[in-house]
Amino acid sequence: MTDLAANNSSLDYYRRWATTPITERPRISVVIPAYNEEWRILPTIGAIATHISSLDVPWELIVADDGSTDSTAELVEELDLVNLKLLTTPTNGGKGSAVRRGVLAAQGELVLFADADQSTPIEQIESLIARIDEGDDVVVASRAAEGADVANKSLSRKVFSAGLSMIVRGIFRIPVADTQCGFKLFTAEAADLLFRRQLIDEFSFDLEVLYLAGKLDLKTSEVPVTWIDAPGSKVDAAKVAVEFLRDLAIIRWNDARGRYDGVNHPAVAITGPRVVPQR
Amino acid sequence: MDINTIHPTDTEVELVLHGRFDAHETEAFRAEVDTEMASGHHHLRVNLAAVEFVDSSALAELVRGMKRCRELGGDLILVQPSDPVRVILELTKLMSAFEIV
Repeated sequence: MTDLAANNSSLDYYRRWATTPITERPRISVVIPAYNEEWRILPTIGAIATHISSLDVPWELIVADDGSTDSTAELVEELDLVNLKLLTTPTNGGKGSAVRRGVLAAQGELVLFADADQSTPIEQIESLIARIDEGDDVVVASRAAEGADVANKSLSRKVFSAGLSMIVRGIFRIPVADTQCGFKLFTAEAADLLFRRQLIDEFSFDLEVLYLAGKLDLKTSEVPVTWIDAPGSKVDAAKVAVEFLRDLAIIRWNDARGRYDGVNHPAVAITGPRVVPQR
Repeated sequence: MDINTIHPTDTEVELVLHGRFDAHETEAFRAEVDTEMASGHHHLRVNLAAVEFVDSSALAELVRGMKRCRELGGDLILVQPSDPVRVILELTKLMSAFEIV
């Protein structure tokens, strides 16, 4: 607890976070990958900023724009929130590359990546943090774990998810039922180990990260969450399924060739500017 | 999201929303607003105290309702928006567009 009294509202905590630069290491870094999210990004930032600020810990928000061609980056930049970092890149590199840039720029003890559509409400971060506090290295929000509550998910996405889960668990031996939920929490050490190694820039980066977590003997668990399908999803189930199967083979091939034995990306330290163009 | 419509007096209408107000809920909200307006109620209060999240579709729907009410000499007033909703209204620069009580 800091100098704000216990009776203060989450609005008070938010206002302090929005205007006062943190001076210590963040307890939490939240990374939002964003590609053409001008319609969704501001409400998502508002919800996340209000809730995480209410936890009364130092934290930072990183929006990793992925070469958006709409006004996503401009909208975020104009917010003028002192503990928000906007990472930009001139070209669209894929969700995996955006998450990697964000995670490697994060300075928090814990690193959460959360999709820009707020499909997994931010309030559920506490249940993931509890698992980290119990000793886990990676905690995955799961729509497939017992107790999960999934709303408005289309039939095609249900079939797609079930198929992926069967392949991943049965063939790939990854003990996680839902590899693709865009809400995952890592310790800083685990995030560094995983994201400096992972190579896939597209949709299947989650799968690669979890594969590497198993390879590196990181303790990984799933937490059932409430998940609400956000209209306007950019996921094309059929296209992604093909890419997913291709990437499964690529991951195995990369591993067989020893491409995961060392780091593939340098650590990134960002302490000063809030807007950091990256190439 | 649940919508509970109450009539404190013959002329007052308050829509009390509960839950997540997103694109899945805008149709039900619009239907409720339209029903009340068709009944001659042009002064609507929308209670957002128990709403934890509004997306851009919901914000657009609130703006639509507000404009329709004002065109007919009334207004759509936001009542006690929750902290996250208030922050979202600030970030989207919509705080000044609405009367908020």
